[in-house]
Amino acid sequence: MSKPTDLVQGTLDLLILKVVALEPMHGWAIAQRIRQMSSDVLQVGHSALYPALHKLERQGWIKSEWEISETNRQAKYYSLTRSGRKALAEEAANWERLSAAISGIVRRVS
Amino acid sequence: MLRWLARLRFVSRTLIRPRRLEDELNRELQYHLEREIEEGLRAGLTPEKARYAAMRAMGAVEKSKEECRDEHHVKFVQRLEAILRDVRFSFRMLGRAPVFSAAMVLTLALGIGANTAVFSAIDAVLLRPLPFPGADHLVRVGQKQKRTADTVITPVRLEDWNSLNSSFQAMTGYYTEDISETSGDIPERVGLARVAMRFFDVWGMAPALGRAFTPVDYREGADRVVVISNRYWHSRFAGDPNVLGKTVRIGAAPFSIIGVQSSMFRFPVRDVDFWVPDPLTPGRNSLRYVGIGRLKPNVTIDQARIDMQLVQSRLAEQYPDTDGEIGVELSPLKDSIVRGSGRSLWLLYGAVSILLVIACVNIAALLLARATQRQREASVRMSLGASRGAVGAQVLTETAILAAAGAILGVLVAAATSFAFRTLAPGMPRSDEIGFDYRILLYTLAVLAAVTIGCGAVPAIRSTRARLAGALAGTGRALVGGRHTAQWVLVGVQVALSVTLLAGAGLLVRSFHELSNVNPGFPLNRILSFRVSASWAELGNVPRVRQQVDGIIESLRTVTGVEAAAVSVVAPGVPVSFQQEFRVVERSPNSDGRILAGSNVVSPSYFETMQMPLVAGEFCSRQAALAGTMSEVMVNRSFADRYFSGSSVVGLHLADAFTSNRVAGIVADARERGIDRCPEPTVYFCGYPAQPFRVFLVRTANDPESLAQTVRLKIKQLEPLRSVYDMAPLEEWVGDAFAEYRLRAVVLASFALTALSLACVGLYGTLTYVVSLRKREVGLRLALGALRRNIVGQYVLEGMRVAVLACVAGLVISVATGQVVTSMLYGISPYDPTTLLVVVFIVLFVSAIASLLPATRVSRLDPMKVLRED
Repeated sequence: MSKPTDLVQGTLDLLILKVVALEPMHGWAIAQRIRQMSSDVLQVGHSALYPALHKLERQGWIKSEWEISETNRQAKYYSLTRSGRKALAEEAANWERLSAAISGIVRRVS
Repeated sequence: MLRWLARLRFVSRTLIRPRRLEDELNRELQYHLEREIEEGLRAGLTPEKARYAAMRAMGAVEKSKEECRDEHHVKFVQRLEAILRDVRFSFRMLGRAPVFSAAMVLTLALGIGANTAVFSAIDAVLLRPLPFPGADHLVRVGQKQKRTADTVITPVRLEDWNSLNSSFQAMTGYYTEDISETSGDIPERVGLARVAMRFFDVWGMAPALGRAFTPVDYREGADRVVVISNRYWHSRFAGDPNVLGKTVRIGAAPFSIIGVQSSMFRFPVRDVDFWVPDPLTPGRNSLRYVGIGRLKPNVTIDQARIDMQLVQSRLAEQYPDTDGEIGVELSPLKDSIVRGSGRSLWLLYGAVSILLVIACVNIAALLLARATQRQREASVRMSLGASRGAVGAQVLTETAILAAAGAILGVLVAAATSFAFRTLAPGMPRSDEIGFDYRILLYTLAVLAAVTIGCGAVPAIRSTRARLAGALAGTGRALVGGRHTAQWVLVGVQVALSVTLLAGAGLLVRSFHELSNVNPGFPLNRILSFRVSASWAELGNVPRVRQQVDGIIESLRTVTGVEAAAVSVVAPGVPVSFQQEFRVVERSPNSDGRILAGSNVVSPSYFETMQMPLVAGEFCSRQAALAGTMSEVMVNRSFADRYFSGSSVVGLHLADAFTSNRVAGIVADARERGIDRCPEPTVYFCGYPAQPFRVFLVRTANDPESLAQTVRLKIKQLEPLRSVYDMAPLEEWVGDAFAEYRLRAVVLASFALTALSLACVGLYGTLTYVVSLRKREVGLRLALGALRRNIVGQYVLEGMRVAVLACVAGLVISVATGQVVTSMLYGISPYDPTTLLVVVFIVLFVSAIASLLPATRVSRLDPMKVLRED
């Protein structure tokens, strides 16, 4: 796993929430999906991923359960809670606003 | 809100099932790693490379785990667990030596309890503001004037001040007297306060029931109204809610009750139960009221002083004759009420604090001994990786538990002592406000913390200073022990202080004994004293009052069982003296020095009643006394000896500022101003005092108490409208001097005995510890044939050596501080050798026993068993 690019902690939370919103999955799968959906640009390692997952669980936005994975072993699956859904919408909106603002400045020609 | 609940649930998992958390974390990351290895294999890496990559990742896994643990607040929970573990361990350790632990807890309970109790008194009396709204704005208003030191104010001037000032919300005044409530069969004495307008405004507390006074009540011819106290409402009317409108009889007149004070109203004169409006007395010269004012919210007392000065100077211009020499004096009300108690309370606080320090020193010494004993355990822990902080924390935990147990018991002790304060010192102002509330509790917690740190710091540090290798290797196996200077010094200090305190107590006890052997000069135990109510208004017809008083005395003499009766202005036994300057008419003014003597106004039968024999001349006559001019006086022997040694004073005329009187005779001395005071030169004016404050004395054949009711009824027969009060055998009044000596002796003796027992516990504990360290040495000696009594002797000597040195030190301190106690002693010198010797003997004896016990115990050891054990 290569080192993750300079992802702000907050945006990692957003990505996790979005991925988990689509379907419940375990940590490894979340990392893979993020990589896949970003066309290999964003590569999240376990040192960033799991602390973020546990923090989100502490905040009550995701919940965890032990299930049998696709490889027939026990894995911890995370899914979105109701307050997590609300948080996701808020964070996504914030991100839109932020990125639009930054793009606005960066793309200015003069 | 829900988020917090979810959070709480999340963290509680860490508390309840920490191992499961750890387990899950491992499994989760393990899974991740496995998937990564598989991915690597699938991507074409060889198994070795895959494993290598995995192992590289492993390092970082610990860090991830750590961060995840942070999310679960694992560190915090672990710390909590460590504290709980320490607590459980401490309980076990303390339980192993139950007697010791109990002794330490009791010691702390006494120390903390006494300290808290005195602090609660200080808090209630000195620190807390008076129990009125905005009490720090209440000010005593006084009038400075030439002729007298009294600061009572004139009503008319009070009104002027109230209307002209700009710094007070309101000002008022009151004066108190005793009156007779005559609704019942026997007149009852009640305290009454006559109050000026705005009285309730100034105090800020309206009556709980009914209403306050309005200006209508002060008008000429208004209905007679009274506000009664909460206490009177309960005792006389049983708290009847329909009490308004009922009447009480003050003297002969009925007064209608229009209000009941709240139970929180604590009038500075505690025994007042009635408040009535006092209509304005005209005239700018009458001295009548105690003045009270309430400052405006943002005005300071200094600003008020300046303001009042201006007001008074304006009045002085307006009325130069009466107001020219008048000044205004303001002082915070609380100061004028508690004045005097401060010093003795702080002194007492110092004493209990010293006692607490002694208790802490004691406990620190014992804990120190134990810490050194468990050095091995501490060394093992530290060599296994425990930090010094952890080991030290465990010792502190033990101390904290001891202190906490002591504090809980101490709170009980404090509550009991608070109660004792109220009964032992009813004369102290605001003593009924002493109680126990959260502030005192906070203070107890603070003391608890201080004690924990004070007692536990040194042992905690000592236990962590263990040199690992040495301790592990074999301190336990050493045959000959060390010197333990620190512990012995601590014990020595305690014994020395005990000696000092005991010496002081002994001196006080002997003073008390001396005092009770003194001949007072009058038959202390056969005189009944009482007062009969009168009002200042009667002074309008003084001859009539004189006749009445004479009538009372004469008819009292007819009562069976009464041998003699008299009246006096100053009650015997009261340490108050009215000093006056006299001059001999027959001599030239500057021939001798000043003649100063105490003065009293007594009826001629006084000397017969007090059984003071005639020394020269004759007794003054009843006729002269009835005439009212007080033309005859008697003097006592001290007066004659001091000012007229050699020459005769009988027949000479003594003059004071008002009259000139003939000396009829000399009587023997009596200790009227207190058993502990030498009789002072006194001049007795023979007459019948008309003013209300006089005391009647009746000498009885038998026990004075038995005639009390008869006397009361006789007085009621003669003067149905007057009440009899303050009736008690003279012994009780004079006993006040006794009581003070006794109280001091008892208090100091209890301190001393506590200090001594603490010192003994310390001695016993330290010797036990020393002996336990040298068990192997003793066992060896016994096995080699040493006599048991030699062993006992040696250890007793070790203990006694310290005790003797400490006694010497204690004696030195006692002698050095002897001057301090001289004023409290009677008839005995602070360096009295008998007392000191007895004290030293007691202390040495007790120390010997305290040393004997551990020494005997160790000599009874079975040498084989001791040598075999580790």
